Amino acid sequence: MSPDGRYISPQLGTLSGEGSGQRIDQTTAAYPSSSAVWSERPSRSFESDEPTYYDRPVLKEAVWIWSVPAYFYVGGTAGAAAVLAASAQALGRGELDGLVRSCRWVAAIGGAVGTVFLIHDLGRPERFLHMLRVFRPTSAMSVGSWVLAGAASATMASALLSGQEGALGRLGDAAGYSAALLGMPLAGYTAVLLSSTAVPLWQVSRHSLPPLFIGSAMSGLASLFGLLPVELSAREERTVHRFGVAAKLIDLAAMAAVETKAAQVETVAKPLRQGVSGALWKAAKALTAASLALSLLPGKSGLRRKAVGVFGTAGALALRFAVFHAGKASARDPRATFRQQHSS
Amino acid sequence: MAECHPVGFRWVMEAKNRGAKIIHVDPRFTRTSAVADLHVPLRAGSDIAFLGGIVRYILENERYFREYVVHYTNAPVLVSEDFRDTDDLDGLFSGWDAEQGQYDPKSWQYEGAEVSPSAEQREMFTGEPYSERGTRHAGERFDDTLQHPRCVFQVLRRHFSRYTPEVVEEVCGVSTDQFLKVAETLCANSGRERTSAFCYAVGWTQHSVGVQYIRTAAIIQLLLGNIGRPGGGIMALRGHASIQGSTDIPTLYNLLPGYLSMPKARYDTDFDAYVRNNQAAAGWWTEFPKYIVSLLKAWYGDAARAENGWAYDYLPLISGDHSHMTTVSAMADGAVKGYFMLGENPTVGSMHGALHRKGMRELDWLVVRDFAVTETADFWRDAPEIERGEARTEDIKTEVFFFPCAAHTEKDGTFTNTQRLLQWHHKAVEPPGDCRSELHFIYHLGLRLKELYAGSTAVKDRPIHDLTWDYPTGGPHAEPDAEAVLAEINGFRVENRAPVAGFVDLQADGSTACGCWIYSGAYKDGANQTSRRKPRTEQSWVAPEWGWAWPANRRILYNRASADPEGKPWSERKSYVWWDAEKKRWAGHDVADFPADRPPSYRPPEGARGLETISGTSPFILQADGRGWLYAANGLLDGPLPTHYEPNESPIQNPLYGQQCNPVRLEWKRRDNPYHRAWKDPRFPFVLTTYRLTEHHTAGAMSRWLSWLSELQPEMFCEVSPELAQERGLENGGWATITTARGEIEARVLVTERVPAMKIGKQRLLQVGLPYHWGSKGRSRGDAANELIGFVADPNVSIQESKALTCDIVAGRRSRGRRIVTSGPLVPSTPDAPGLEGGRDLPEVGVREPGRHGVSSSHTQQNEES
Amino acid sequence: MGAVGFFTDTTICIGCKACEVACKEWNQLPDDGLLFTGMSYDNTGDLGASTWRHVSFIERPVPLTGQETGLGNFSWLLMSDVCKHCQRAGCLEACPTGAIIRTEFDSVYVQPDICNGCGYCVVSCPFGVIDRREDDGRAWKCTLCYDRLKGDMTPACAKACPTDSIVFGDLDELRVKARDRVERLHRHGVTEAYLYGADEASQPGTGGLNAFFLLVDKPEAYNLPPDPVAPARKSGSAWAAMTVSVLGMAAVALGAVLSSRRGARGEAEA
Ligand SMILES: Nc1nc2c(c(=O)[nH]1)N[C@H]1C(S)=C(S)[C@@H](COP(=O)(O)OP(=O)(O)OC[C@H]3O[C@@H](n4cnc5c(=O)[nH]c(N)nc54)[C@H](O)[C@@H]3O)O[C@H]1N2
Ligand SMILES: Nc1nc2c(c(=O)[nH]1)N[C@H]1C(S)=C(S)[C@@H](COP(=O)(O)OP(=O)(O)OC[C@H]3O[C@@H](n4cnc5c(=O)[nH]c(N)nc54)[C@H](O)[C@@H]3O)O[C@H]1N2
Ligand code: SF4
Ligand code: SF4
Ligand code: SF4
Ligand code: SF4
Ligand code: SF4
Ligand SMILES: [Mo]
Repeated sequence: MSPDGRYISPQLGTLSGEGSGQRIDQTTAAYPSSSAVWSERPSRSFESDEPTYYDRPVLKEAVWIWSVPAYFYVGGTAGAAAVLAASAQALGRGELDGLVRSCRWVAAIGGAVGTVFLIHDLGRPERFLHMLRVFRPTSAMSVGSWVLAGAASATMASALLSGQEGALGRLGDAAGYSAALLGMPLAGYTAVLLSSTAVPLWQVSRHSLPPLFIGSAMSGLASLFGLLPVELSAREERTVHRFGVAAKLIDLAAMAAVETKAAQVETVAKPLRQGVSGALWKAAKALTAASLALSLLPGKSGLRRKAVGVFGTAGALALRFAVFHAGKASARDPRATFRQQHSS
Repeated sequence: MAECHPVGFRWVMEAKNRGAKIIHVDPRFTRTSAVADLHVPLRAGSDIAFLGGIVRYILENERYFREYVVHYTNAPVLVSEDFRDTDDLDGLFSGWDAEQGQYDPKSWQYEGAEVSPSAEQREMFTGEPYSERGTRHAGERFDDTLQHPRCVFQVLRRHFSRYTPEVVEEVCGVSTDQFLKVAETLCANSGRERTSAFCYAVGWTQHSVGVQYIRTAAIIQLLLGNIGRPGGGIMALRGHASIQGSTDIPTLYNLLPGYLSMPKARYDTDFDAYVRNNQAAAGWWTEFPKYIVSLLKAWYGDAARAENGWAYDYLPLISGDHSHMTTVSAMADGAVKGYFMLGENPTVGSMHGALHRKGMRELDWLVVRDFAVTETADFWRDAPEIERGEARTEDIKTEVFFFPCAAHTEKDGTFTNTQRLLQWHHKAVEPPGDCRSELHFIYHLGLRLKELYAGSTAVKDRPIHDLTWDYPTGGPHAEPDAEAVLAEINGFRVENRAPVAGFVDLQADGSTACGCWIYSGAYKDGANQTSRRKPRTEQSWVAPEWGWAWPANRRILYNRASADPEGKPWSERKSYVWWDAEKKRWAGHDVADFPADRPPSYRPPEGARGLETISGTSPFILQADGRGWLYAANGLLDGPLPTHYEPNESPIQNPLYGQQCNPVRLEWKRRDNPYHRAWKDPRFPFVLTTYRLTEHHTAGAMSRWLSWLSELQPEMFCEVSPELAQERGLENGGWATITTARGEIEARVLVTERVPAMKIGKQRLLQVGLPYHWGSKGRSRGDAANELIGFVADPNVSIQESKALTCDIVAGRRSRGRRIVTSGPLVPSTPDAPGLEGGRDLPEVGVREPGRHGVSSSHTQQNEES
Repeated sequence: MGAVGFFTDTTICIGCKACEVACKEWNQLPDDGLLFTGMSYDNTGDLGASTWRHVSFIERPVPLTGQETGLGNFSWLLMSDVCKHCQRAGCLEACPTGAIIRTEFDSVYVQPDICNGCGYCVVSCPFGVIDRREDDGRAWKCTLCYDRLKGDMTPACAKACPTDSIVFGDLDELRVKARDRVERLHRHGVTEAYLYGADEASQPGTGGLNAFFLLVDKPEAYNLPPDPVAPARKSGSAWAAMTVSVLGMAAVALGAVLSSRRGARGEAEA
């Protein structure tokens, strides 16, 4: 007998209803949650010219946990890495093999870790393979899953085969190129995934979120080299440096774009200004800017190289979490939904 | 109605869809109001003034259905010269006996005739049986012009003349134009072409003048010609699934099955006296002997013989008022030893839970049969006074027996609903574990009693020996066959047990037996008529083949009134039954509620007896005079006409006259049952009313144990107006404590315009609304509203006054300290507070000696009030 | 069997919650915890993973046309909400596993054994209907009583509704019924009455709802979105933006590599 009182004597039958599998452990659990007690006269929720239903959300906020924004970062970095690796391999005349190798490994590990993060978030991890049950173009997540699957294997192959001679080497290079082809969407589809939801903030920023995520992915990769214990040749250094500078410029530009777009509907932009998400957003901006500024200072100190890496990486991470939490907050606010739909 | 009878309300919505106007009169804006055309909020406890206003409107504007009124009601009958109305006596009718605190109805009689009511006579307890049921022929004097100053019509006109729209506004807080709108809508939708119906339930009954509320509605419906006609009537929306059944085959102490009155020790000394006191000389009740004899034959079989008065002596006699609250207070005084609680949870559901528990603490034994161990079953270890340390489990000697019961899905049987419709329900599954049906419990208890007394030769044990107790049993638990019981209720010929076709077959010579005459026909032809389920799409709109309605499968009572005196329908639109001149019979969509072959032209000859006395134009065949009673010359303890009295406790003084409350109301003047001052008690400034929620059922054992229902209304709450919330600093969703002299409870707060603040005269009146479903057990728990309500009741039917009283409310949760209400009032009975002297209410507290409980001698009120 | 659905006429709802209970009972759903919310008579709050029918209680300080109450400016709107079984269903379009399907009854159904709890449908429903449960980690919502429909039975909620506020049936017939009802109400002076989501024309974003409503106030009052859109409709521009961006990324990468060559202009500056 389940503690909530649903019961049917075994002699008489069994609980076979669609939801009979649902279990609740503590029967006193408050829902919609004790914070939802309406402390004003009910008709108050109606008195404003813009009624809501006791301020209850119209939408359900994302049920995802930390590993999803974390994946945004990891996956993005991996994608960017695959692309950079391929470019270096194509035009590096062999001078950038170190960079190629490390990028391939970053991409491979990123792909692997990312996959783990995603599975970790699933309500039914054991069924993660169902992601490849169908291919559904309307679902950014479906597309993304296939991309990730392909990218993960390609990057892994390219990494394992990097530095090999002859046939194996050529095979590795082929893998590298295909990894790059898949790495491009890998770095960007997560932005599409978010902006193709009903969440007002994510939806309104559907034009600016992709460049933002791409920029952040690139900057994340560039900054990573500031932290990784890899020896890069001078040319490799230059490559990464320029890649990073461009990345952070794109990143900052895209952030501005997101803000302006969101600001068209005041309430929609709110989460970017207030609360945890607001703080994270500001932090992301500051850190990226700082990282950019530092990287532009003349001279070559190892310490600065590290600082650029730390700020850049933190910025990239903060950005993903900022966007994630801002979206949750935006879904919680019924007025955001109403006003966004009226404005569009 | 939407709140408490949602399934029935389906048809109200259907009617609305077809253009019917829905008017909802209720202190609160409820789920019913939400879909009504017109919602009229009025002060709880003021309906008689409101309805009285409508009566006046009908009379003053000549809106009554004259032909109907003249022929079918007692409007033309002359009333005795001795009658004095409330206007003359400052709120009392003539015949008031201050010593006894009751009326002598002599002066209320018709001129030159004495009639008695169709229902059995409660007044026997408050005085000599005034008129044994129509021992004289009802030979009233008439004035069909309705002009005679003493004809009922004119008495009515004078009596209600004071209920002007202005008075209605002053008493009920209903604006004049809203009142007029209601009155006009009602009149506009009555008459030959149209009919209007009243639906009421306990918002009308649970008052110390409850019966008179319904009487006022009856007067309106009779004046408008809305009784006995399709789309008319007064629908008593009953309570528990078969509460109607439990009045027909009563759980009431003063009735035998079929509204035969319970023998009274003082008067019904033997069978002949009993029959003399109950048989009418005119009208259908002349058949009385057939019904009682057949009942006795059903119960005592061969032992019931003409020479022993059909074993009449076996019947228990009642010596006084044994109604619920009277019995419980006797219990509290140690005068009751044992108590059976079959399907009741009174410590939550009935008034004054604390007094109930006090009573049960005095019992030797208590039997509870229920689904769950209710608050009542657990009174000895789980109760407020035990939580507060005022009573200790160790000290309670009562032995409690708990029997799990079978649910309706686990047993065969009938439900009788609001419209007297019996519907059979079939057992779906065997009851689990030790659960057994009532039928099983009572039957096997009976068998064991018989066994226990088998050896006894004592005369007093004869009723047990001779009781017919032979129902076939079956199934794993030897369950008695419910259909066999229905067959006995239906009645049969003694010699061959052949089922009778209906009560017309019953005889007074012992040749027939019948368990309940009004149900006779339910097992016609040996077939269970109550289990018929023919869809309405496959039969006439009256659907006579769905279940079975008493009496004789009639769907509308007194339906002779749907035709004019000549027997023709009042209108095509409203035709229902009519006289078929060719066939010389009554024909129609329904079974005519009239002697089938009695022509409209028939007039009773001089000295007619029995059914011969029913004239061809008298639809109300159960009344000795065959007429609908606008004026009740007899049968009511608190006056022949309804008049507005304030509730036992009210924030305002009766605006109409000196008499504050119903003078005959039942009070229990006990230290443990304190009352507030009758009006303007400064300690209890607010009106308290109680009610139900769709999500829960009564005392909660059928809903608070279920998570699916509990989650919908998870906590006890009170409903207050924004004005009251502001005055007492109550926050929506927060806590409040509600107090009366009887008790104190806490509840969550719902602030809402739905429980409006009212203007009564110059006074602002604030009301507190409380659902009463909660108790200390089950999944959803909370304080019980009935801890607040004392014992006070209507004199006619002993129903409690739980719809209008006074209280106080403050923000915050209740104190957990000692309160000891059952050993003395919570607040001083004689408050030192100035301005409290003189108020009627404060009982000079005195515990009565056991045995003589119930009706209080009200002469003290009398002095103070008038 | 063709397309079926619900026409919920809120003007005859009496807020008895029989639908809510019938749904839970038939589907054996657990309660959502016992909490007093102070929101009129609504102690449920929302539709959710274990509440597939939800009755809203809206206390309005404004009168309802065609009704008169002594309270003056007050009315109480009652409405039973449910999954809309959208023609273009955000949840279905978002589901990567194909767990959400369109059934032979044109209803939107989550296959319990397929859903892997990715949670994408949750943010993709423009009505905030579907939700994921912590305990079993999968997404839940109204099934339109798929099991009952297959057994040729009326959905439990509609069956239980005493006033026929919830009408179940063939969609085309329902639409006709609904339009008649609106006209009737307009004739009786209830001029606010209108249909919400009855067809593609009135709600292009979702292509119309198989469970549509008759309302007498703006959608927001009932916590319904004024202009819901199946999100995938808008993803095209996002994909475009992404394509541009990733090509940009590739260009930057190639540029960085080229520009870093010894002798390349970039180097001198560096
Ligand atoms: N869901 C549900 N249904 C039930 C029950 C239940 O507990 N739950 N109980 C069943 C039983 S036993 C019964 S008896 C019936 C009772 O059915 P109802 O009589 O409908 O039940 P109540 O809610 O007690 O009272 C009805 C209304 O009377 C109003 N009222 C209070 N005082 C006054 C007054 O002075 N005048 C007027 N005009 N109205 C007043 C209250 O505000 C309330 O809205 O319901 C039956 N049906
Ligand atoms: N303040 C206030 N008080 C009121 C009222 C009010 O309006 N206001 N209303 C009054 C009215 S109208 C009523 S009817 C009473 C109701 O008061 P009660 O009758 O005391 O309350 P119920 O919960 O209906 O009790 C019925 C019990 O029978 C049990 N039961 C159900 N089926 C069966 C069965 O087949 N066999 C047995 N043995 N038990 C069964 C149920 O579990 C339940 O515990 O409350 C009255 N009290
Ligand atoms: S509970 Fe039973 S009796 Fe009451 S309304 Fe529902 S169906 Fe009718
Ligand atoms: S309402 Fe939401 S859950 Fe229901 S079908 Fe539409 S999108 Fe899916
Ligand atoms: S949670 Fe289940 S139903 Fe929802 S999108 Fe993911 S797989 Fe599909
Ligand atoms: S259709 Fe079935 S599942 Fe959907 S709400 Fe109604 S009862 Fe619940
Ligand atoms: S069952 Fe019908 S009337 Fe009752 S709440 Fe649900 S929709 Fe409204
Ligand atoms: Mo009742």
